[in-house]
Amino acid sequence: MRPGRLLWWAMLLVLLPAAAYTLYLDWRVRDEFEGRRFSLPARIYARPLELHAGLRLPAAALEQELRDLGYRASPLDAEWGWYTRNGDSFDIAVRAFMFWDGPQPARRLRVSVDGGTVAALRDAQGANLDLARLEPLLIGGIYPANNEDRVLVRLNDVPKHLVDALIAIEDRKYFSHAGFDPRAIARALYSMVSGKGIQGGSTLTQQLVKNFFLTRERTLSRKLTELVMAVLLEMHFDKQEILETYLNEIYLGQDRDRAVHGIGLAAQYYFGKPIQDVSVAEGALLVALVKGPAVYDPRRHPERALERRNLVLREMRELGSLDVAQYSRARAEKLLVNPGPGRGTSPHPAFLQLVHTQLRRDYADADLRSEGLRIFTTLDPRAQRAAERAVAGRLAQFDRDKRFGDAGLEGAAVVTDPQSGEVQALVGGRDPRYRGFNRALDAARPVGSLLKPAIYLTALAEPSRYTLVTPLDDGPFVWSSRGAPDWIPENYDKEYHGEVPLRMALALSYNAASARLGTTLGVQRVLDNVKRLGVERPVQPFASSLLGAVSFSPLEVAQMYQTIASGGFRTPLRAIREVTTQEGQPLKRYPLAVEQAFAAEPIYLLTFAMQDVVREGTARSLRNWLPPETAVAAKTGTTDEQRDAWFAGFTGGRLGIVWVGYDDNRAAQLTGAGAALPIWGEMMAALDPEPLAVPRPDGVELVSIDPANGLRGGLLCPGTIEVPFIKGSAPEARSPCTGAIDSAIQAVEPALGRAKSWLDRLLGR
Amino acid sequence: MKRSVALAALVAGCAGVPDIPPPPGAPVEDRIARPAPPASENVAVLSLVQNARADSGAGRLANAGATLERALRIEPRNPRLWQELARVRLKQGEFAQAESVAVRSNSWAGADAALRAENWRLIAESREARGDTVGARDALDTASRMAQ
Repeated sequence: MRPGRLLWWAMLLVLLPAAAYTLYLDWRVRDEFEGRRFSLPARIYARPLELHAGLRLPAAALEQELRDLGYRASPLDAEWGWYTRNGDSFDIAVRAFMFWDGPQPARRLRVSVDGGTVAALRDAQGANLDLARLEPLLIGGIYPANNEDRVLVRLNDVPKHLVDALIAIEDRKYFSHAGFDPRAIARALYSMVSGKGIQGGSTLTQQLVKNFFLTRERTLSRKLTELVMAVLLEMHFDKQEILETYLNEIYLGQDRDRAVHGIGLAAQYYFGKPIQDVSVAEGALLVALVKGPAVYDPRRHPERALERRNLVLREMRELGSLDVAQYSRARAEKLLVNPGPGRGTSPHPAFLQLVHTQLRRDYADADLRSEGLRIFTTLDPRAQRAAERAVAGRLAQFDRDKRFGDAGLEGAAVVTDPQSGEVQALVGGRDPRYRGFNRALDAARPVGSLLKPAIYLTALAEPSRYTLVTPLDDGPFVWSSRGAPDWIPENYDKEYHGEVPLRMALALSYNAASARLGTTLGVQRVLDNVKRLGVERPVQPFASSLLGAVSFSPLEVAQMYQTIASGGFRTPLRAIREVTTQEGQPLKRYPLAVEQAFAAEPIYLLTFAMQDVVREGTARSLRNWLPPETAVAAKTGTTDEQRDAWFAGFTGGRLGIVWVGYDDNRAAQLTGAGAALPIWGEMMAALDPEPLAVPRPDGVELVSIDPANGLRGGLLCPGTIEVPFIKGSAPEARSPCTGAIDSAIQAVEPALGRAKSWLDRLLGR
Repeated sequence: MKRSVALAALVAGCAGVPDIPPPPGAPVEDRIARPAPPASENVAVLSLVQNARADSGAGRLANAGATLERALRIEPRNPRLWQELARVRLKQGEFAQAESVAVRSNSWAGADAALRAENWRLIAESREARGDTVGARDALDTASRMAQ
């Protein structure tokens, strides 16, 4: 073979694969870049605060809400998102927001609060307003891989000065080069040869290619690939498209576990404003961050950040993008960034897990992580904060006091609205920021006495046999069943109490009386009612289940008590109200649904007995947190060897469930009243509870009862109380004390008669 | 001009419904025809109810439901709001929910017989729609007993 031909073949051998590889790269560039849509996380919002005259809302709570929303406490001209407070009067510049039911424009509001209640709501002209919504708090997202978060912007919305700044510092020849800059590459090659490693020399196009298609390694072959792809990209797409993609792609900061991508989100994250409103100095700071968001972090390294920002401004001035006046004004501007720390992927990961679980029933996980859906949830930030504080604060105190043994006690809490079934708060552990094991959802623990209301409800639904004053036997109780050891439930105080009225057996949580009642009624009947109350989890039909040897999660317990708190109407617990597309197009609603599971009458009686739990039963110490007028209905729960402490209760406006225990399920000295009640009390007291006032159903009458014997009492009987009865079920017999009064009246009557005739005579009648 | 028209309508409305109790012998319809009291004393709730009615009238039933839920968050114990919601559920074809929500309304209705009667009529309608003719007749009987 001639040498020339050999060379030709050799060249072909090299060029063919190179050409094939280039073709492959070309296909990748076109395919991926064209088909590329940024993955946008689903955005999750709390409930919007609805302001109206008469709303119970302390001024401090309103201010907290505004601060959470990032409103600044000083007026800014011609901008939204600030407020001023003068005593209990607020002037608020409310931002525009796209709600599920349509857009709401930005507006000025005047709100005055008086004694914990909104007294007046007016517009800027002083006219009364019926109702006004603040925008809802963004509480997190469901993120794509690497927790990338971004807010997409269009190039048209980006201020020109920001583009100028980027061009000035990162790639001056951007609008003229073909994807690479030979001189910059020569410089880079020189620095490599001289042993400084490969660095610099990347055009914006190359940077974008690197972020889009390639790994972070720095090798010569990768650098070559990057160069080829950059050229290909420039061949297929115009400068504007590439620039817009670059601005949305670029990594500009780290907010805990959330990666801040794109200038849209960066403007929000650092300055709390949309990209359109970013000033020259602010834009220069964002561009300064491109080189290294950690190194130039304006919160952690303000001097370095300021220095680089000013370098950007200087380069802009040099290129003539800024005139002298603009330059000196921008340079004089202080580094003004929102105070950190940010919220990470969410400040309330436990609640977000609940939202995510409910969403996964209707949406593919990939869609949740990429389509930018907007999820409107039921979270009440005030209730959430109160619950988090109460759980974390009390548990820390128990640890310090070694109240219940070693450190490491855990807890969980759920707060719901009894009427709508909306979950207002959810705490999955003592560290509310921890995004792992969620005890409120996933820790199924024995519920102990929290199951007892189901027994008493079953009994009270049979008014011919049971009323609130029916005497129950709290003597020793043995339950024998074939193939199982005898079950001998003991009382907490290790004593038996003889005959006790039904309502007091519940109020004092007597085990022997409750077990006897439950087995008399039938274990299966009681457990069927547990199911009707809303617990889906199957329960083994053992007698010991009656006293709570069954394990439920706090959320399941909330569902069970929800039905009691809403007068017998079962309402599925909901964490989501609505879902829209990122443009605000409604996709789905999760409407309120109710179903009557129990008649109002027995539920009314059960609620009365649960109020006795607080009035004179195991939860008496609740008076340390809430006044008796709140009339809370509740139940304490303590399990075998005091491993779990529970408290479940409701006021007029909220239902709360609290669980306390150790994750390793060790025996402790926990009681519902000692460990869970203080958390519940503290949490509810922080939320200005509405008193519980259940409307008395038609079929219920109030009858005076002598508590000493459960018979009808009278006005003059000592300690007589009004007890509700399903009509026709109240005792007929009168207490002896009424007899004493009757005979007293009989004794007085003849004397009265004599007096009357004497009076008649006197008056000449 | 607009104002005087509105005023005229108001006066006409008043004239049509004299504010005196009907004579004892008057037919039942006269008593039923009296306008229902306002859904709430709360202006925020009233404006939401108006929006919900407008939505419902225009066939935007999901919006009407959502708006009534907003009102219910303000006044969860207001039986008229539950009744409005029952009406929307009926229009939505959610017959079982319509009945349940009407029953919920009754649970807050207290001694308001007219309100209860209307709820029973809604229950009758939702049963009829589900093919439960007997149940519907029972509900209608209850409604007319209430109305007396």
